Amino acid sequence: MQIPIHGTTLKNGLRVVIAPDTIAPVVTVGVYYKIGFRLEPQGRSGFAHLFEHMMFQGSENAPKMQHIKLVNSSGGVLNGSTMYDVTNYYEAVPSNALERVLWLEADRMRALKVDEENLANQRDVVKEEVRVNVLNQPYGGFPWLDMPPVAFRNWANAHNFYGDFADLDAASLVDVQKFFRTYYVPNNAVLLMLGDVNPQEGLTLAEKYFGPIQAGTAPPFADPAEPPQTEERRGHVEEKFGTLPAMAIGYVLPKRRTSDWYAMVLLDQALHGGRAGRTHRELVLEKQIAVEADGGVDDVFGYNGPSQMTTRILHKPEYSAEQTLAAFDAVLREVQEKGISQEELDQLKVKWRSDYYSTLEGGRGGTMPRYGQMHLLACFTLFDNEPQLVNTILDGFLAVKREEIQEVAKKYLRPENRAIVFRTPVNKDAKEAA
Amino acid sequence: MATRASEVAIAAPALTPERPVTWPKRTRTRLSNGMQVVLAEAHTIPKFHGELFFRAGEALISDRSVGLAELTATVLRTGTAKRTSRQIEEDLRRLGADLGASAGQDTSAISFAGLSEFAEPLLELVNELAREAAFPEAEFERERRQKLEEVKLERTSPGFLAGERLRKVLFGAHPYARVSPSEEQVAAYKREDLESVYREIYTPENALLVLVGDFDPQAMLRIIEKIFGNWEGKKPATKEAPAPPQLRGRRVYLVHNPGSVQTQILVGCRAITRKHPDWIRLGLTNSLYGGAFNSRLVMNIREDKGYTYSPRSGVTPLRQHGYFSVSAAVRNDVVAASLTEIFYELDKLRSLLVPAPELADAQNYLTGLFSMGLATQEGLLTQFSTTELHELPEDYLETYRDKVRALTSADLQATARKYFDSANLQIVVVGDRAQIEEQAALFGEVEVFDNQGKRIGA
Repeated sequence: MQIPIHGTTLKNGLRVVIAPDTIAPVVTVGVYYKIGFRLEPQGRSGFAHLFEHMMFQGSENAPKMQHIKLVNSSGGVLNGSTMYDVTNYYEAVPSNALERVLWLEADRMRALKVDEENLANQRDVVKEEVRVNVLNQPYGGFPWLDMPPVAFRNWANAHNFYGDFADLDAASLVDVQKFFRTYYVPNNAVLLMLGDVNPQEGLTLAEKYFGPIQAGTAPPFADPAEPPQTEERRGHVEEKFGTLPAMAIGYVLPKRRTSDWYAMVLLDQALHGGRAGRTHRELVLEKQIAVEADGGVDDVFGYNGPSQMTTRILHKPEYSAEQTLAAFDAVLREVQEKGISQEELDQLKVKWRSDYYSTLEGGRGGTMPRYGQMHLLACFTLFDNEPQLVNTILDGFLAVKREEIQEVAKKYLRPENRAIVFRTPVNKDAKEAA
Repeated sequence: MATRASEVAIAAPALTPERPVTWPKRTRTRLSNGMQVVLAEAHTIPKFHGELFFRAGEALISDRSVGLAELTATVLRTGTAKRTSRQIEEDLRRLGADLGASAGQDTSAISFAGLSEFAEPLLELVNELAREAAFPEAEFERERRQKLEEVKLERTSPGFLAGERLRKVLFGAHPYARVSPSEEQVAAYKREDLESVYREIYTPENALLVLVGDFDPQAMLRIIEKIFGNWEGKKPATKEAPAPPQLRGRRVYLVHNPGSVQTQILVGCRAITRKHPDWIRLGLTNSLYGGAFNSRLVMNIREDKGYTYSPRSGVTPLRQHGYFSVSAAVRNDVVAASLTEIFYELDKLRSLLVPAPELADAQNYLTGLFSMGLATQEGLLTQFSTTELHELPEDYLETYRDKVRALTSADLQATARKYFDSANLQIVVVGDRAQIEEQAALFGEVEVFDNQGKRIGA
């Protein structure tokens, strides 16, 4: 399966990537900026995400509410999300709205226009978002918010990405404009169009609307590298609502696109690939210690700094945390000592290939087609400057050998490469066994 | 207060002429054993998506217990006459396939997706699960204990507690009132209960198989006949369910969730089934009220007032009844203010005609959204399944957009008056009683429950 890719770089440095198909009269448009919550300013935790909200609050020619209104009333849907190393804004619309959507995205890339009232409003909205997803939910933020401060030492990787409320309160309009001028420049972004779009027409429209935007200074990026880790790290968090003790174990991953990385990703599938995965099979189905045991690498292609493969376990209160951890360690030890069979590796590769096709086709929810393809093309462009990787990267996984799986298991699944977070219920019904 | 009037975008490019929206041709047929089959091609990727539905679920067997159909679905994948649980999971991986089994009030279903090159062996496995599940004792026991932990856990989720309470209030003695079992009910499940549910519900005469993907329908039909053709079994007898209550006046149901730092609001009233002739107009009215980002409710309590992150309204269709509901997780000190706005926007739609441009925007939104499902195999599968399961007209998909566009502001007002029954809306709030009871009491008489569903006195 080959994705046809058309692309160019505008004079202002904006990369444009177009992947046409004629399946449905629908086009997905995305703009990815190479800035996520990892490298947001110190003292402003949560700012990258708050800023993402501000991008829906109005730009010079499309004041507050117009952005959302224009997309919805064209028959489309829109959203944005903040990740570790990128922030995206995307729309799926009937293809007759392509030009309108490009105009909107260009307008907010060129001239964000927001005021104090918008900022106060979205600060309130973000706080309710944090409450509904984290503070008022059983296991809210577990482990994605609990793990970084335990696992990492560099502030970039270790801080609260949703933001401390005091930092959100401290964020000012000046911060908003500064962040915008620094990172939201065309030379730090990629524009994507997928689906029902004529490539020539798409390139012409991109030039028309984005061409006049001034390039900015290349943004400075702090170094997210971690100091060497020499021993296992552990942390504890209270669980306010849930009744089961939980733990998360994270191992730092190899750098993207190294030979270790390809093997590690398949090892991750061996450990976490659903009900056939070794972790679930041993802890939930066979030993029946855990109620849930899943997780893995969160966004295989979408990170550009220290990241982890994280296992998330909710276990029965009659087993202690140490007993549970010992059972998990035994799963890893088996791979380290015996490797995996050729049969298992072959199965993993078929499943991985099948999953990859679904990523290319599939959406986010039922109404955002080609989201996965957009995400891959964006990350391969911003991190690797090579969107064509979308058509070749699969080969690297299919070439992995059995011995390589065992080698990365030994090399990366070591105590001094991991961190563990225990999330323990304060609820009296859930006493842990001694 | 009304939503603040917004300025208008300057010079937004006009929409260009629309490209035609064409739904793929369906092959619809029925095997001699009564199994209904719907096939459609979609060559996006070298895969296919499918779902084998059975037209019965919890509601049919609710006189026995709650959640039995769901556990039956869970356990059926853990062993057949020919394969163990582990073999099933590894075979799925070998075929590059995903598979899930679940049950709702009105249907039980095995859903799956896999590589086209392995379509036949995957369908053979699905067939085995549908006909020869063995319900091994040890697997049943493990899943039952697992379920026990899940039912404890779900009582800590505000969204679950709100939904459970609203369903109890709206449906009373009707089976739709019961969304999840108690710990005692789970403890009393027997393996034999599951087997009898399985024998009763999983029959070809009760089945609908929908497949969408990269295949040739004629060749696929031959494979289906070969695999499923010799299966026999009648559909289960239907039973008359008790009528849901007639609800008069607003009442407030407060579920006390100690330590809650936010309040989950859920209000609702009974509405209609998917087959009802008013379905499309209610869908459009809902979309304009709170079903879209650009809707009145979202613009009011999120974008203008910042009370909440994720307000929304929706219409839920079940086979015998349906209901309309509005939800928002809000700051504890704005529970009364949020409810006020929720009712204000409902009543506004009942009393004032929707301006023509706003109507056109909402019509565009719904008709555009409808096309998104065309782009993926899963999207197509959902649309075809909905059409069949709710017994909608054969041209439902092809005529939907025109029907939406034909609606007028007067139609919407009449629909709001008929279904947004604000005077008799039932109000559920889940949160810390001490912080919200006074606010909630402004809207009706309050009954308080704990998170186990038991009533607490004043």
